[in-house]
Amino acid sequence: MKKIFVDYKKCVACKGCEIACAIQQHPSHSLYALVGDKKTQVNVRVLGVEHEAFPVSCRHCEPAMCLDACPSGAISRDPQTSAVVLNPDICKACAMCAMVCPFDAVSFKQTHRAQYGRTVAYKCDLCHERLQEGLNPACVDACHSNALVYKESDELSNQRAVQNLKVYLLGDEGEPPLFSLYRELRRKEFARRRSDKS
Amino acid sequence: MPVKSDHRSVDPAAIAMLKIADQNDIDNIWERLEKQQPQCGYGQLGTCCRICTQGPCRIDPLGEGPTRGVCGATADTMVARNLARMAAVGSSSHSDHGRKVALLLKAVATGENTDYQIDNVEKLQGVAAKLGISADGLTTLELADKVADAALDCFGSQTEAAIQFAAAYMPQRLQEQLGKAEVALKDITGARIGLMPRGIDREAVDILHRTHFGCDADPLTLVAQTVRCSLGDGWGGSLIATELQDILFGTPTVRTIKANLGVLDAEMVNIIVHGHEPILSEKVVELARSAKMNKAAEAVGAKGVNVAGLCCTGNEILMRQGVGVAGNLLHSELAIMTGAVEALVVDVQCIFPSLADLSSCYHTQFITTSEQVNIPGAIHMQFEEHDADKIAEQIVQKAIDAFPKRNAAKVYIPQETAEAVVGFSVEQILAALGGTPGPLVDVIANGTIKGVVGIVGCNNVKVKQDLFHQELTRELIKRDILVIGTGCWAIAAAKAGLMNLEAQELAGSGLKAVCKSLGIPPVLHMGSCVDCSRMLVLAGAIADHLGVDISALPLAGSAPEWSTEKAVAIGSYFVGSGLPVHLWPAPPILGSPAVTQILTEGAKDLLGGYFFVEEDPTATAERMLAIINEKRAGLGI
Repeated sequence: MKKIFVDYKKCVACKGCEIACAIQQHPSHSLYALVGDKKTQVNVRVLGVEHEAFPVSCRHCEPAMCLDACPSGAISRDPQTSAVVLNPDICKACAMCAMVCPFDAVSFKQTHRAQYGRTVAYKCDLCHERLQEGLNPACVDACHSNALVYKESDELSNQRAVQNLKVYLLGDEGEPPLFSLYRELRRKEFARRRSDKS
Repeated sequence: MPVKSDHRSVDPAAIAMLKIADQNDIDNIWERLEKQQPQCGYGQLGTCCRICTQGPCRIDPLGEGPTRGVCGATADTMVARNLARMAAVGSSSHSDHGRKVALLLKAVATGENTDYQIDNVEKLQGVAAKLGISADGLTTLELADKVADAALDCFGSQTEAAIQFAAAYMPQRLQEQLGKAEVALKDITGARIGLMPRGIDREAVDILHRTHFGCDADPLTLVAQTVRCSLGDGWGGSLIATELQDILFGTPTVRTIKANLGVLDAEMVNIIVHGHEPILSEKVVELARSAKMNKAAEAVGAKGVNVAGLCCTGNEILMRQGVGVAGNLLHSELAIMTGAVEALVVDVQCIFPSLADLSSCYHTQFITTSEQVNIPGAIHMQFEEHDADKIAEQIVQKAIDAFPKRNAAKVYIPQETAEAVVGFSVEQILAALGGTPGPLVDVIANGTIKGVVGIVGCNNVKVKQDLFHQELTRELIKRDILVIGTGCWAIAAAKAGLMNLEAQELAGSGLKAVCKSLGIPPVLHMGSCVDCSRMLVLAGAIADHLGVDISALPLAGSAPEWSTEKAVAIGSYFVGSGLPVHLWPAPPILGSPAVTQILTEGAKDLLGGYFFVEEDPTATAERMLAIINEKRAGLGI
């Protein structure tokens, strides 16, 4: 099973994934064209949950609840990549997909793909066209810190297990100490800011 | 209004105003912070480089991605360059303020400006003597002209020699220590690296040049220049601002003022002056107190004109004119929300652009006055020093004209105010001690007072307003450590009643006894953020009195709620002068192991001073006590 895996501890909230997604989805594929363009579609959102950040997007479930729930048949599965894709021409914006999505990964607006100025559902399409060209999803390529990776699950879990075992068995350094310090200071900053106690 | 706790501020007046903001859905800085979450980690770690258009480049802190930018710059290079640029901007802001005061002194001396006069001839003579300028046979204005020239020369000097103010004010031993550090740096790098500032402008320009694409990439030399530029601020630009303002407007003397939003008066025309430079605000105060303007105020149904300060402009006029202070940085929006402010008059630095939109929801005239601060939505009334009286009168009149438009239904002024004894210039502290630092040194030597901590700096919306300022101050005085300081910290301490004589009761027994015998609070207001130079001068006077280095003294600094680039410069000149400096929040350097090491450890060997980060006020006080005890042991006291 090949998926976009999120390692949230590595996410530094730079939102590079959001920008890369917007460029990929924009008809011009240009950063400068999307500035101020309200129809720009961004399929991944880096959400802050206190001091942590998490890039939220469609998990391309199988079976997909949105696909099952869609009464108009706008949502289908791409046979080559297993991506759950949405056809804006058929979408009736009934929001059944959004209601059943356990990851809140479906949004609505007038996108460039929507015809006649209609508001439609939009979501991550796994960049399935890029995948067919042998590329990674745009967000994954944009992520420097490897918080987002597109890999076979076995490959990734083995890789992570070996890395963790190196720390456990060989005493290798895990996370760089200054990065751990940075995370810890951010946690404390938020905890103190949220506290009602003086 | 009953005061409940609030996660945004510990100040009861702020809590009351935030309740109003919440009820009326008024946009404010705390909301905007939430809307900015999550904030980019590259920026917080300092590893984002936007210096050339082959970038922007980012080095991830986990070593997962590329470890060099397009040009080959490492995380260490990027962080050091970004830090140096912060110091250059901060130092330039303070120093440009100093330049304007020097230019005004020059204009007064030459007779070009007759709206201002020299208030303190004694200080002028003192500064001249310090600079080695003979007053023999010179009139006051002639002497002022020479002092102004000496100050102006510090900005544009093109020689390799240290600027005159630094050479004259910096203790000889510190100059020698910096000389030794220069030699040590040369041994390490092979490069000629200076630390004594050659020219205030030059050291900032040096950083702009050095951090241009393809120049300095060594974190050590970049940090060294950061320190040099900052020393040009502390012992140059800021010092010039302080000293020459004292000449023009008077050296602060001890007086009692009121602090917090309650200084606004519902029955008067309220003018808040906000920013940093007293050149304009001194005039606004003068005009607001005039019979003519008060009559004009009465004509529109007000009882008179009331001026209150905010931020460092507030500090300047409370120190010299005893004007009440409405609050520190995070009060600036809250003050407008009282609905009782006719005019918010601003000069430079720390002015939220949001104030324009917020003012438009009230009758408040938001007036910008500096060519360097133009804010869309504000009314710009260009201030000209040579026409100061006229423009100040127009500004005050503008406020009076707004008074009838005040909507009484929107007025709420929280009544919490505290009294604060302020005005502790070095001259006043020495006067209280009988003319020399001797008595202070004696009580430190015999352990009655363990040491002195200088606290500076801003509010930072990421820290609950005033929490760290207040708690750290309380914890320190409890441990018999005298606390001095400036800036938004000073206003926080004043609002909390810590500068009240009653605060003596919060101090440890030794500090309490000393404060009682001198009749001073245990927490001393030394002025605005440029007045951090007063703390350097005081530290120098103590060191000279004992014949030791500043770095040997039981002193420490802290910027516990800092937010601006100016604070980077202040912290760096404290460290460069030999002082350990606490910071919270953490500066954007943790992306670089090398810069982190230099600032927290390496600097200690080289300069005596160093930085440390701590998020808990009590733990910070403990750490400072440990530092002070270590220094005391070093001195054998």
